[in-house]
Amino acid sequence: MKKFLLKTLLYVLTGGLAFFVVTFTVYFFNLDMKLTSSLEPLLLKWYDRIPRNQHL
Amino acid sequence: MKDLKHLIYFEDLLQEANNELVQQAQKEGMKCVGYMCENVPEPLLNLPGIFSSRLRAPRTGSIDVGTYYLTSFLCEYSRAILERALEGGYNYLDACITPDGCTMLNRCVENMDLLHAMGKDKLGFFFDYMEIPMKADYNGLDLYIVQCQNHILKPLAENYGIDTSDAAIRKAVDQHNKICELIRAIGDFRKLDEPTITGYEYNVICLATYVAPKHLIQGMLEETLEELKVRKPDDKPWFRARVEVVGSEVDDTDFIKIVEDSGAFVCADRFCYGSLPGRDPIYLNDEEDALTQICRAYMYRGECPRYMDTPTMDGRREYVAEIAKEYKADGIIYQQMKFCDPWAYERMLGSHILREDYGYPVLAVDRPYAIGTSGQMRTRVQAFIESIDIKKIQKEG
Amino acid sequence: MASKKFNTMVNPEKIKGDTRYGDLYKPHGKVRKRREWRGLGDTLYDYTRWMGILLTLGKFMVVPRNIKFFFRYRWMANYLAVPMMVDRFTQGLRGEYLRIAHEEQDLIIIDVAKLLGNLARGDRRVGNDEEFSKINVLVDENEMTAVMMGFPNLKCTSRETPSTYVPVLLNQHAVEHYLDVVQEYGLPGDVCPMPAAEAGTSMDDDAPILGACAIQCNTTCDGSLLSNGVLSRKLEKEDGIPVFQLPAPLRHKEEDVQDYAAEEIRRAIKFIEENTGHKWDWDYYFECARRVNIATKARNEWLDMNKTPYPQVFGGNLALYTETNYMAICGKVPEFERADKRITKLAEKAYKKQKMAAPEYRHRAIVWGVQSHFYMDFLVWLLNCWGIVPLTDMLSCINTEMIAETDTPENREQAYYDMAMLTEEMIMRNRTHGGYKVLLDDLFEFVEQFDADMIILWEHITCKALDGMHGLFEDRARDLGVPLMWVNHQLFDPRVVSRQGVRDQVNQFMRTVMQEEPLDPTLEILDDENSW
Repeated sequence: MKKFLLKTLLYVLTGGLAFFVVTFTVYFFNLDMKLTSSLEPLLLKWYDRIPRNQHL
Repeated sequence: MKDLKHLIYFEDLLQEANNELVQQAQKEGMKCVGYMCENVPEPLLNLPGIFSSRLRAPRTGSIDVGTYYLTSFLCEYSRAILERALEGGYNYLDACITPDGCTMLNRCVENMDLLHAMGKDKLGFFFDYMEIPMKADYNGLDLYIVQCQNHILKPLAENYGIDTSDAAIRKAVDQHNKICELIRAIGDFRKLDEPTITGYEYNVICLATYVAPKHLIQGMLEETLEELKVRKPDDKPWFRARVEVVGSEVDDTDFIKIVEDSGAFVCADRFCYGSLPGRDPIYLNDEEDALTQICRAYMYRGECPRYMDTPTMDGRREYVAEIAKEYKADGIIYQQMKFCDPWAYERMLGSHILREDYGYPVLAVDRPYAIGTSGQMRTRVQAFIESIDIKKIQKEG
Repeated sequence: MASKKFNTMVNPEKIKGDTRYGDLYKPHGKVRKRREWRGLGDTLYDYTRWMGILLTLGKFMVVPRNIKFFFRYRWMANYLAVPMMVDRFTQGLRGEYLRIAHEEQDLIIIDVAKLLGNLARGDRRVGNDEEFSKINVLVDENEMTAVMMGFPNLKCTSRETPSTYVPVLLNQHAVEHYLDVVQEYGLPGDVCPMPAAEAGTSMDDDAPILGACAIQCNTTCDGSLLSNGVLSRKLEKEDGIPVFQLPAPLRHKEEDVQDYAAEEIRRAIKFIEENTGHKWDWDYYFECARRVNIATKARNEWLDMNKTPYPQVFGGNLALYTETNYMAICGKVPEFERADKRITKLAEKAYKKQKMAAPEYRHRAIVWGVQSHFYMDFLVWLLNCWGIVPLTDMLSCINTEMIAETDTPENREQAYYDMAMLTEEMIMRNRTHGGYKVLLDDLFEFVEQFDADMIILWEHITCKALDGMHGLFEDRARDLGVPLMWVNHQLFDPRVVSRQGVRDQVNQFMRTVMQEEPLDPTLEILDDENSW
């Protein structure tokens, strides 16, 4: 039981650490913004294609 | 057509804010109240003992000082007026009343006030500022009345002992109506298929009524009306299209001249300083006090784009269409003084609505305060007239 | 009179982590190379708040209709830049300053996310939840929402806030498309671009359609008043949404306009009742009024603190938070009361420790005029690059008076006047309208009160109310010997004056007039023209 708990704790800690390392890397190197900024031009093209009833 | 007898005199009156008739009235002991916006009820500035002078800056040249104080982004009208005030061009005024109608005019007068541009040595001189309604309804009317009482009648009574009673107001309205009726009667000659007055002449005459004491100009207007009754039109039509000019403040007769020199006849004037609806008479009844009736008339006929309620907004465009029909306009010129925010929007909306919903050819232009002999404007109007011609030919074909 | 002189204050505490902030910028880039290292504690704190922001955004995007909404409206693309906006507003901040900024920013993000969710749900093109749509009352972006303080079950919904106002904070180029649209229809480029962009959004068929009715207000300027006409045309004539135009008097300091203003408030409330079927609830009104007072009290305390040598709540965050809390929230959202208290607590803690936000305080400045919306984080730059402390800005100098908050028959009548006062003295218009005193005289009173030695005067070039005082500002500053720095910009349009164009004006003034060198030279010239 104790072993199981320790193992679970280890998994949680490892998982947590891995999560932290990955997300912190994304955070620190601004990878989230780098990704979204590359999506923006594609999105703008998409919006241009939407038919619109432009008028006053 | 034969020259109108008083036209040159009227033109001369427009050369100076402090013109001959203003000086004459002041010699008679009358006080002069300056104002700059159509939302100030004119009859209240023409009570017994006072007369109004709607501020213009004729023959404007450099407006550098005005531009320093107001920047180049405010309309040239406000800058030119401030410049002229700082030059001492309005030293003849005994008071200056302005509504917070548009930001620019308000700032212009505030600058005059803070810079002590006028009234330095005049006992009783005052500046006053009014709030005016933005919707035409009962609450707006209540506001208008209170504002006229507190910011026009009260200071005039306190500073100059002017009689602001109901009877005095009614007397001023009578005088106002006489001028309006004369001007409208003169303007009716523009409705003729072969008009006996040009848009330019009418503009000069109408403008003179805003800048001269009413009692001193009335006789000349009466004579002009009689003259027009027998005036013969030219054998050949001198214009190719009839146009209605709509929009912001125009006190520069050169603008109308340019339009007419380009082949158009300005058959209707729906702009500030124009006669539609600026020279609508105000018919009073005896049941209600005169002030309330004046305020109501000004509020409900208000064509200023600052009125923000939907019925009034729609009404503005309907009114333009009605006038176009009444004066048989072939097209409409929506003009806006450059940097005027209210008319920037109104011009955009109005020009599209009049074209799309009412079917009129519309030219939308912006212009400087003093247009001089702008080649650009001439070209644009000429192209517009040609387009109207083409449409006519297509229609006939 | 001789120029005022402020003795430079040097921060006894070393700023942890990065101090050359310009190095984080990527030339021509949209985003920065990496996030700032703020020392271990503050970086980890910022990281957790970043996670929180991602969670807020993630929660929004897991709702299918929100995804549809995202792909329908062009302006939604700007929300990709939310984390970067927070990075910009927190540049160089540490300790309590960083925490205060996050309290402000993160709550605004949550609030905007909720607003977007509501729009998506009610929008006829997307969620089309008709029942929900019926409890929405549309308001302008720049409109005081006091008339909604007595409707607990109605949503006060601004379409313009998320479609034009917030996007420019996120992405400086956000509304250029809409400005182009409206100008193609003949609107000149010399009107304020904010209402112009709002009109452009509506004309471009890019405004969500929902709501039982709409309340428009003449805040904040002639342009704003007139662009309402463009919007109401569509709302009333095409979408069938009735509109009430609420005129707030311009000469709001005058006694003789208050009855008019109060009556318009009464009519607006009646209009909402008639069009939604909901009744005005006085209990809820006074609950909101109490929260408005709490916010006012907190803001007064922050500003009082800023009059001392150790200001704590200042800069772009203060302006943005004040604008949100005063105008859009107006006592209706309890979370803001809690945030006010937390911010006050943090500020007091930092004040006791005599904390400073930068390595040096060289000047104490009052920031006046209308700030460039596409560069609202300029105030952080001013602090980091030149050591100029923006003690307060014009948008944060709003109502300081308490309103009636207990339910009595007299106070119910007073409430209409209080709502009118809040509406009339809405952010920006409380200074740009109401006569020259509130704009000109008050500025120099604030200079005295805050012991400022410099004025940064934002000149939003198409704001006619501000332009109209240009010369008098200059004359008065010259007479009083206060250095006045003009910073021109075009509010929503960086194509007219770029962010570097804004910075150049400061750089030139500081080098030539003040003869100073920057605190952080890496920030002086930044290649951020393409940046979000």
